[in-house]
Amino acid sequence: MKKTLIICLALIMCLTCSTVFAGGSSEKAAKTTYNVGICQFVQHVALDAATQGFEDAIIEALGKDNVKFNYQNASADMATVTTIINSLVSDKVDLILANATPPLQSAASATDTIPILGTSITDYATALGMPLDGTGATGINVSGACDLAPLDKQADMIKELFPNAKTVGLLYCSAEANSIYQITEMEKYLDKLGIKHTRYAFTDSNDVASVTQSACSACDVIYIPTDNTAASCTEAIRNVVEPAKVPVVAGEEGICSGCGVATLTISYYDLGYTTGKMAVQILANGADVSKMPIEYAANPIKKYNAELCKSLGISIPSDYTAI
Amino acid sequence: MNIGSLISALPGAVAQGLIWGIMAIGVYLTYKVLDIADLTVDGTMATGGAVCVMMLLNGANLWLAILCAVLAGMIAGLVTGIFHTAMGIPAILAGILTQLSLYSVNLAIMGFKANQGINFRTTRILISSRNVKVIGFENPIFIMIIVTALLIGVLYWFFGTELGASLRATGSNEHMARAQGINVNVSKIIGLMISNGIVALSSALYSQYQGAVDVNMGRGGIVIGLAAVIISSVIFGKIFHNFALKLMGVSLGAVIYYIVIQIVLWMGLNTNMLKLLSALVVAVFLAIPYWKGKFTKGARHA
Repeated sequence: MKKTLIICLALIMCLTCSTVFAGGSSEKAAKTTYNVGICQFVQHVALDAATQGFEDAIIEALGKDNVKFNYQNASADMATVTTIINSLVSDKVDLILANATPPLQSAASATDTIPILGTSITDYATALGMPLDGTGATGINVSGACDLAPLDKQADMIKELFPNAKTVGLLYCSAEANSIYQITEMEKYLDKLGIKHTRYAFTDSNDVASVTQSACSACDVIYIPTDNTAASCTEAIRNVVEPAKVPVVAGEEGICSGCGVATLTISYYDLGYTTGKMAVQILANGADVSKMPIEYAANPIKKYNAELCKSLGISIPSDYTAI
Repeated sequence: MNIGSLISALPGAVAQGLIWGIMAIGVYLTYKVLDIADLTVDGTMATGGAVCVMMLLNGANLWLAILCAVLAGMIAGLVTGIFHTAMGIPAILAGILTQLSLYSVNLAIMGFKANQGINFRTTRILISSRNVKVIGFENPIFIMIIVTALLIGVLYWFFGTELGASLRATGSNEHMARAQGINVNVSKIIGLMISNGIVALSSALYSQYQGAVDVNMGRGGIVIGLAAVIISSVIFGKIFHNFALKLMGVSLGAVIYYIVIQIVLWMGLNTNMLKLLSALVVAVFLAIPYWKGKFTKGARHA
């Protein structure tokens, strides 16, 4: 008897807790035409910008009242990704936006009918465990936009800014598939330019400083790809590279503004916007997602961090924009 | 809030719960039977998937891949066991050390990639989240019930043997067990191996279910495992006395955990708050036995 009472009490507690936390996300239940589910992997400036761009593109094309977004964030937890994707699929949303690699994989595994668009994804073939077809489409219910910055041009940038550099240290987090892919590609381009390179992988934010330290003592220039962990540890990296007078060339703007001197950047907002336009094609114009080629970010921009360039005494050519 | 959308999401939650239930059974064996808090599992929860996915991608037989995943998990358990018994490192620290080293090992298994997809369209896999509402033999819930039942059967038999009984004795009273001539170190190592083998089995199934293995897949897994164990002991503790039923209760605990999470998501919780909620759910279930004790004591005095 008491036991039942206690169990009931516990259940009521759980439910009350969750009602308290249940906030605004379900309030706007206006009459809608399209239901779009969004699963973002982790809270992150770049991913947030991509989601924003995606929503803006759809709202602009279809109007605010004709689309309803169900935005869910997995807080970097794979198990939560599966749960979120399960909700979206059973809600029978009209389209799923998978923002980063794990949601894309989970969604591709959970449904072969609902169109899935990826954004902030570097390598679709590896993520899906299958090759792309000749046109750059997947052939299944998945397409999207690729966040790969033009790595060859980034390698040229290193050569242009630091013609005397002998060794480039490649600093990245070993847990991030995207970073490892970029580093492997970068090595090929550096080999072509005849620049030596060494990998410096850190495991998580705890060993960033010491790995950066060892990179600084052996290299003239450090390159950091679009690495999420590095992006969240730019201050720690800067505290090592600035006193050591080692310049950092970064794969994206966020890292560059924190600890780098220059970057050739793509805008994640634009990337999300591109993805949003693909979504409009699918939702409103009935395009076949399996035949849509993966799209790439257009117009990379050369940018520099004026403050750090000054402190390191680096002169930057005039075609660079200050961040 | 549409109740229909919650109901249609439940099969997915149950399937995910059953897969994590296997993992929770592994946690139960160390935490409750052997009385060791083994943190190796956060690493093993990725190792099993890594071995299984990489073997499948290289064309190995499905069952062989799953078997090798289990063996890899058992090796991880063996390492923790050796750290703990032969090197005298406290169990919790031994687990943390193995978990830490498994990060590198898992990366190496996956060819130094952090994430590897596996596709039901090109590779034959056992379970996939796609089939969660299909009625038939490929339904993950059906498959997981069979796997769980088989596992419980094997464990029930094993813990009835002399070796299994010596494991239970080691967990309930180490000194007494030693006095009875049981080599408690061997018992602990075997227990850790079995537990991590089971966790790796869960990992192998989970990576197929979600279509990918990720080096961070097991991070925080111990919390889910412990939550399942605790939920089951609160809800089923007084009903299930038989060992097999207790294991079944642990599996149900994981299912309940995921149903609660699914309900919470359905209620429109901001998913940024999900980790806080998970912690609260575990804290509430941990507190219930304590409150219960106070409550009954208070009632007696009155």
